[in-house]
Parts: sequence; C-alpha cells; structure tokens
Amino acid sequence: MKHLKVMSVMLIIAITTIVMPAKVQAQTGKEIAWKVYDRPSPKDGESDMTMTLINSKGKERVRYLHQFLKEYDEVEKKVMFFKAPADVKNTSFLNYSYDDDRDDDQWLYLPALKKVKRISGGSKDDYFMGSDFTYEDLEKRSPNKDVHKLLKSETLNGEQCYVIESTPKEEGQYSKRVAWVIKDKWIPLKIEFYDEDEELLKVLTIPEFKQLKGYWTVITQNMENVQRSHKTVIKLSNIELEKGLGDEKFTQRAMMKGL
Amino acid sequence: MLTILFIKTTMKNLTTKILQHSKAIMVLTMLLTVLSVWVLVNKVYIETDLDEYMPHEHPSFAYSDWAEEQFDIRDAIVIAIENKNGVYNPATLQKVKGLTKALGKMKEIRKSDITSLYTADNIRGSVEGLEIDAFYKRVPKSDDKLKSLAKAVATNDMVHGRIVSEDQTATLIITKLDDNVFSEDFYEAIIKLSKEYEGDGDVLYVAGQPIIEGTMAILMPKDMKTMLPIVMLLIIVVLMMVLKSIKATVLTMVVVLVSSIWSFAIMAAMGIPIYAVTTLIPVLLIAIGVADGIHMFSHLQLYMRKNKNASKEDKISNMVAEMWKPVTMTSVTTAVGFLSLLTSEVYPIKYFAVFAALGVMFAMLLSLVIIPAGAMLFGLPKVKHQEENAKKEDAFANWAGWFALKITRYKTAFIIWTILLVIFFGYGASKVWINSSFLERFPDSNPIVQTDAFVNDKFMGTTSINVILEGKEADAFKSPEVLKLSEKMMNETIAKFDAIGGGISINDFLKRMNKVLNEDREEFNTIPDNSDLIAQYILLYEMSGDPDKLWEVVDSDFKTGNYNLQVKTDNSKTLEEILAHLETYKDDFKAIGVNLNFAGSGYTLLLFNNLIMEGQIKSLILSFFIVLILLGFMFKSWKVGLIGTIPIMITAVISFGVLGLLNIPLETTTALISSIAIGIGIDYAVHFIDRYKINALATGDKELTIMKTMAHSGRAISFNAIVVIAGFLVLLVSEFLPNQALGAIVSLNMFTSFIGTVTIMFIVLYMSNIYFTKKKK
Repeated sequence: MKHLKVMSVMLIIAITTIVMPAKVQAQTGKEIAWKVYDRPSPKDGESDMTMTLINSKGKERVRYLHQFLKEYDEVEKKVMFFKAPADVKNTSFLNYSYDDDRDDDQWLYLPALKKVKRISGGSKDDYFMGSDFTYEDLEKRSPNKDVHKLLKSETLNGEQCYVIESTPKEEGQYSKRVAWVIKDKWIPLKIEFYDEDEELLKVLTIPEFKQLKGYWTVITQNMENVQRSHKTVIKLSNIELEKGLGDEKFTQRAMMKGL
Repeated sequence: MLTILFIKTTMKNLTTKILQHSKAIMVLTMLLTVLSVWVLVNKVYIETDLDEYMPHEHPSFAYSDWAEEQFDIRDAIVIAIENKNGVYNPATLQKVKGLTKALGKMKEIRKSDITSLYTADNIRGSVEGLEIDAFYKRVPKSDDKLKSLAKAVATNDMVHGRIVSEDQTATLIITKLDDNVFSEDFYEAIIKLSKEYEGDGDVLYVAGQPIIEGTMAILMPKDMKTMLPIVMLLIIVVLMMVLKSIKATVLTMVVVLVSSIWSFAIMAAMGIPIYAVTTLIPVLLIAIGVADGIHMFSHLQLYMRKNKNASKEDKISNMVAEMWKPVTMTSVTTAVGFLSLLTSEVYPIKYFAVFAALGVMFAMLLSLVIIPAGAMLFGLPKVKHQEENAKKEDAFANWAGWFALKITRYKTAFIIWTILLVIFFGYGASKVWINSSFLERFPDSNPIVQTDAFVNDKFMGTTSINVILEGKEADAFKSPEVLKLSEKMMNETIAKFDAIGGGISINDFLKRMNKVLNEDREEFNTIPDNSDLIAQYILLYEMSGDPDKLWEVVDSDFKTGNYNLQVKTDNSKTLEEILAHLETYKDDFKAIGVNLNFAGSGYTLLLFNNLIMEGQIKSLILSFFIVLILLGFMFKSWKVGLIGTIPIMITAVISFGVLGLLNIPLETTTALISSIAIGIGIDYAVHFIDRYKINALATGDKELTIMKTMAHSGRAISFNAIVVIAGFLVLLVSEFLPNQALGAIVSLNMFTSFIGTVTIMFIVLYMSNIYFTKKKK
C-alpha cells in the first residue's frame, strides 16, 4: 500500500514535469511579482486628476487636481495642485517617495497662510489626502519585502489573471495581499488587502486602463474600505507622458507659484 | 330596575352553574394556565435596549436620530485603567494596546469605533510643519521615550484630560457601541476581559451609558424576580393572619397568580417583549387582585357566622350575590385607571396599560369564578364558632361602631385637619421635580455608581449633550463668524457649569492646527479669521490625519456642526439648566442663519422622561375624570361619584407632597405608580359606599348604617390595606432604588386611601345625607 502511494506521487511529478509547458511552469508567485514591479513606466508625465470620496451614506466629495510626476533613480517626485473646490484652490502638495524604506518627504503649500508646510513624514500606512489609499498603496512595493505564492489562474473581467498572495516578511500595515495580475500586461486588476487580524479590509479594482506611448497606464482605480464602507475613486484624464518635465517643477518654489 | 333584576338573576344562575360545574372550571383554569406557562417559557424575551422605548416618530427624537446618524453619535462603553503611580509605564501602556486590540476582536465591536491612547491621533507642530501620527505603536520601554510620550500628551489639549487624566493616573479606552448589541453576555464578557487586564498596580473600571442602561434593564427584572417571591410570601402570611384560613389564602393567591400568568402569556403570544416597566405588572396585580378575594372571603365569614345553618351552596351564592357588584366596579375602575396610560407616547407604557388592565379583568373574572368554584370543591374556609372568637369579632364590630360614631362626632375637626394636611402636602407637591438620571436609581454603594464617579472625577464626564448647529448652506462651518460665535457659546457654557468637564467640536481641530502651524504659539490657539485658511487647514488635516474623526464634529459639506459637551452627571436638573443656557444663543445664531438644536443620549433621555411625565399628568387627570364618571354612573349620583373620589384626591396630593417635601425626584417608575394609585385607591371607596348604600336602604337608620358599614367594609378594607402594605414594605430592602420607591409609594398610597376612606370620605358621605333623604321623600 505504502509503495503504491509513493509510486503514484512520483508518477504525478514525472508527468507534470514532462507535460506542462515550460513557459507556464516558470511563473512562480515571486516572478509574477517582479514582472509587475518591473513593468516599464514613463520617465515623467502630467495629468488632470479627479478624486471622488464616497462615504458610507453615499455622500460624494470631489476634488479636482492637476499633477506632475517624474522618476529619478532612487526617488519619485510628484507635485499636485488643487483646482477645486474654490477655497483650497492653488493649495499644492509635493511628495518625494524614496525607493528604500525611508518615509516620504512631503510638503503642503497653503495659499491662505502663504507658507509651505512640511507634513507628517507619514509612515507609508497613512491615508493619502483622506482617501482610502495609503501612501504605500499608491507606490510600487519591492517584491523583496514579501513572500509570494501563486494561488491559481483565473479569468477576471475577461482578462486571464494569475492570483498571487503576498505575505510581508516583516509586520506591516497588511497581513497579506491577494492580487489578480493580468497575464502579459502585468497590471494588477484587483487587489484584496487584509488587516492585521487577517480580515478583509480593502479591495482595489481597476475598471479602466490603456496603453499610452507603449506604457500600460491605469486610468481609473477604485479603492473600497469594506470595514468602513468608504470608497475612493481616482480618475486621470488629459494624460501626457514623456514630456521632459524640468526638475524645477518639483520644488517648493514651484509649489508657491501655482499652475 | 328591570335590568338590575335581570343582571341579578343572571348572576344567580351563573353562580349556580359555576357551583354545578366547579370541577370542570378548575380543570379548565388549570389547562389554560399550563398552556400559558408553555407559551411564556417558549416565547417570552426581555428587551434591554432602552432605545426601544423612544418614540422615534416624535419630531425631536427624529431630529436627534438624524444627527446621531450624521455624526456617528453613539453611546460608548468607557474602560478606565487606573495606576496610582502613573500610567506612563510599559506594563500599563501594553495593557492599553492589548485591551484595544482585544476589544476590536469582539464581534459586537468595530475596530474603528475604539479610541484609546493607542489609537488616538497626535496632532503636533514641528519645526517645519504639521505632524499627525500615533502616540505610540510599539510600547515605549526606556525612560526617555516614556517621558516624551507623557509630554506629548500633556501638551495636547485634544487628548490631555480626555483620554489621559490630568494627573496622569488614569487612561480611558472608549468604545462606541451600536444600538441593540448590549446584552447580558456582552456585559459579562467586557467585565471578564477588563478583569484579565488588572494587576501590576492597574485597576480597571467599566462605565458609560450603555453599561448603566444595560445594567438597569437587566437588574430591574432580576431584582423583581428575587423580590416577587418575598412579597408573595409575606402577603400569604398576612393573608393567613387576617383571613385565618389556608383555603381562602390559597384561593386568593391562585387568582392573583393565574391572572398574572394569563396576562403575560397573551403578551408573549403577541410577540411583545417584557420591558422593565411591564415587570411591575405581577407585583401590582398582587396588590390589586388580593382585594377581591379579601372582600369576598371577609363577607363570606361574616355571613357564615350569622347563618350557621345555611347550606354550602347558599353561603357561596350569597357571597357572590352580595360581592359581585363591588368586585366588578372596583376592577373596572382600576382597569380604566391603567388604560388611561394609553395616552402615553411611549410604547412600553402603552403595553403596560393594556396588559395590566387585562390582568385586572382576569383577576375579577377568576375571583368571581374560581373562588366560588374552589370553595365548592375544597370546602368553605373554617369559621371558628368558639365563644372566644365570636367575642373577638364582636369586639371588632363594637370598636368599629365606636370609631364610626366618634368620627362623625368630631367631623369638623377631621375636616379642618384634612384641609390643613392637603394644603401642607399640596405645597410639597408643588416642589416635586423630575429626575431622569439612571445613575441615581442605584444606591451609592453600587459599583456602577462608584465607577461612574471615578471616571467623572478624572475625566470630562460620561453624559453627553450635542448641540447641533445647522447652517443654511454648505461651508457654513468654514465661516469665521459662525465658528467664533460657536466658540463663544462653548467657552461660556463650559465656564458657567462646573458639571461640564469639557467639549469637542470642529473648533478644537482648527485651534490646534492654527497653533501648531504657527510655531506652537499659544496666541494662535484661536479660530482663524480667514475662511480660506480654515478650508486649507481642514484639507491639511484630512491629508495627514484620520478624517473620520473630523466627520464626527462636522458634516462633509461643512453645513452642520456637532458641538459636544461632556457632563459629569446625568441629573435632570443640571442637564435642564445647561440646555436652558444653550438655548439663549439660539437668537444670535438665527441672526447669522444658523439653527440650533440638540441631540445625543443625555438630551433624548431628558426629553423622553419629560414626555413620560407629561403623559403621566395627562393620564392622571383623565383617569380621575373617568373614575368620577364611572362612579357617578354606578351609584347613579354625581354627588356620590364626587364623594368617592375624595380619598384618591387626598392620596395623590399626599403621595406627591411626600416626594416634594423629602426632595425625592419623580422618575418613570414612581410617576407611573402614582397615577395607578388612583385606580387602586378608589377600590376602598367603592366597597365602602356600596356597603353603606346597602345598609342605608336596609335599615333607614343613619347611626346603624355607619356602624354596620364600618364593621363590614371597614373590616375588609383594613384587612386589604394591612396585606398590601405589609407585602410592599418588603420592597424597601430591594437593591434597586425604583423598586424601593415602588414599595414605599404603594404602601403609602394604600395607607392614605384607607385612612381617607374611613375618615374624611366617610364623614362627607355621612353629612351628605344621601340614601336617607331619598327615603324620607
């Protein structure tokens, strides 16, 4: 009996090794995570941005912004100007996000105070502008920080997806994340975030993305906090990539100058 | 006349039928009772959520509900950790973190509803700008880190005195609760959890409105459950003493118990839960129901003594024939007294009215059926025919006669004394005040009172009043004009009342931000003058902190603000004074287009109690008139009706007068009982007048009538009064103040009704010459 069991296991291993196509076999969870991380992205760009916050009673608040973005070797710089509502018009936000573990540097310019203020060096688990996104959610996370496991492959919204589970090596804001990554586009179409008690906390979905100048770009993303039943929708428009934006755009002086 | 004759013969026929089928009746009653018990066991449940009492359709409640929903205003359980050596030590801080997490794991609690030093936001200024982060994530261990944490808290007005006491010896974990999650199990779980975290010099206290309300809702029925058997036992003993018969006592108690069981079973069958108020029904039915039995057996005994040789059937028939009328009349008036409570807007009180009235009707029916049937089946109560006993009875009759004559001789003195008493207690009644405090219903030694006192002493207060300021359009709460007036209101109100520990509003966020963004200079601890700056501060806060905290003080359009005040007592007088003061700002706000309203549990509780009181007064007046009409109708004379209401009027005045003079506030239970007292108190007068009428028409002799009436009715009434007073005095040892009050008030009311009936009402009846003038004509 025992022999039979061992034999059959060996047989299964042998068959799968021979039969399964080399390409698919190569995709481990870790590799998929790296593919997503290494997906080519533009050097710089600008766009309009609409951020809609929807509370548990379904009440919406909308902010209109214009953002500039530039990638450097070890830092990503971002500046955002509020266009509306009127009372915060020209308020601007500058963010330096470092590739290493350092906290972001960020500043806010308040036109009414006529001062640039540095704000909460914010650990990466702070919420971005009172939305349901934390700073970390909006950044690329190094696959080295997590252990990845390929759970399965399935079709989501008509796209072939790998479902990978990423568990952080060190305790972080999430106990794990489960992502549906589109095969060959390497965009996560959906990510589930689990809180420290391993309960589902948030769900990110990407209803709209397209290829611009050869880059797969996310146009709309929804983040829903299922525990607070609060939702944020970020939608980009008038996207221009690879414009060769100058470094002076990403300074405190530029913040004060306005758009 | 013909109808009366008809009713009389029908009653006689009915009695004959009852006596013939006594066995079947007893079996049927038993079966119905068994069925009722089955229904009770399977269907009954106790409602502990006080919110279920609130009339949510009432505009003020509807507004408060809306505001509570809008700003997530909910009652919170407050757990205090006290460490006499200060809370800034690794062990205590670890407990704050551990308890915060443990609470978050309970199924009744949402993680985001917990506020503690571990979850609180620390808004602070730095050299370059604003920082909002947690006070600690990992528990600080080194002295330096502990000291800097202590300093961070001490310099933050939004936490200092709110989450950590000013003397640093206590810290709070505040957990907002949803309605209807509070249960006995949950309460036990919370208590157990907090016990686990004691030790290392840490003492834990659990307080907060849900605990007080929940404990009360659980304790009141529980207390009633322990007190009810004691009351019953005592009533049985006293019944035995006055009726001197086991059979009579058993039958009387069976009537009372079965009527309570039936009434509750119908309630349960209809899917209506037991509320704290309805737990009063059995105890009240005992007080009322025994009267029927006492009067019937008392009559039976007197009749048996005089007609030793009459047959068993005759004796029973005579009892029913002579007593059915007063028994029916007293029951109807009592039921009407209860039903007048239907005017109340509070549903549990309406249920109370219906099922108490139903119970009274059952008690009447059972008295008229079970007592004769039981007496038939089990034999008549023994009447001792020995000389000694007869002498005793004669002595009572003689004494009663002497008493009757004496009273009529000194009638003027009695009338004057009564008037003086009414004036004296009427003055006292004018001083009665209403207290809706739940806390003050527990004795001072109760742990819940001590815990609450501790938290109120160290922190801002456990009762909240929410002032809801509503602007005409969006962004009203970015306007410096509106904010500055609200700041004035908050500052002046907090300064004026010692009972207010503090408050929280959008103003605190803005002041804090203004200060920390201006190099932490105290002169910037004010509302900024520029509305754009206010808007940008708010944006800054939203970008760096937990915006959900903001939405508890202002709505997301900035149209409506929630100005919270924490009060250290839930005493109605204090709350009323604070609300009255806040009302004075109404016009100033109106002038700048802002409406001022109130919300929150402190406010709705007050409103609710006022509503109950209003209902009580309405029903008191209503039941008085209905009883007057009923009496007038029953005795076919308005004059008699008026005379009959004398004892209850005096009872009501004295009852309220005693409360006023002793400075005992009215609360829902005492108010309820006072108005019910009318329905009960009237019974003595009905029995007395009925007997007086019978004697008057039979003898035509005034002196003989008063002597005979006093010997017959006076006997039964005094028996009744002794039984009920003795039974209810037992409640004075209850752990629960409203139940103590219930015992005292029912006893007092029974006593005054009794005395009022046999003295002043008797005198007025005597002086009115009624039932004699007719004859002379």
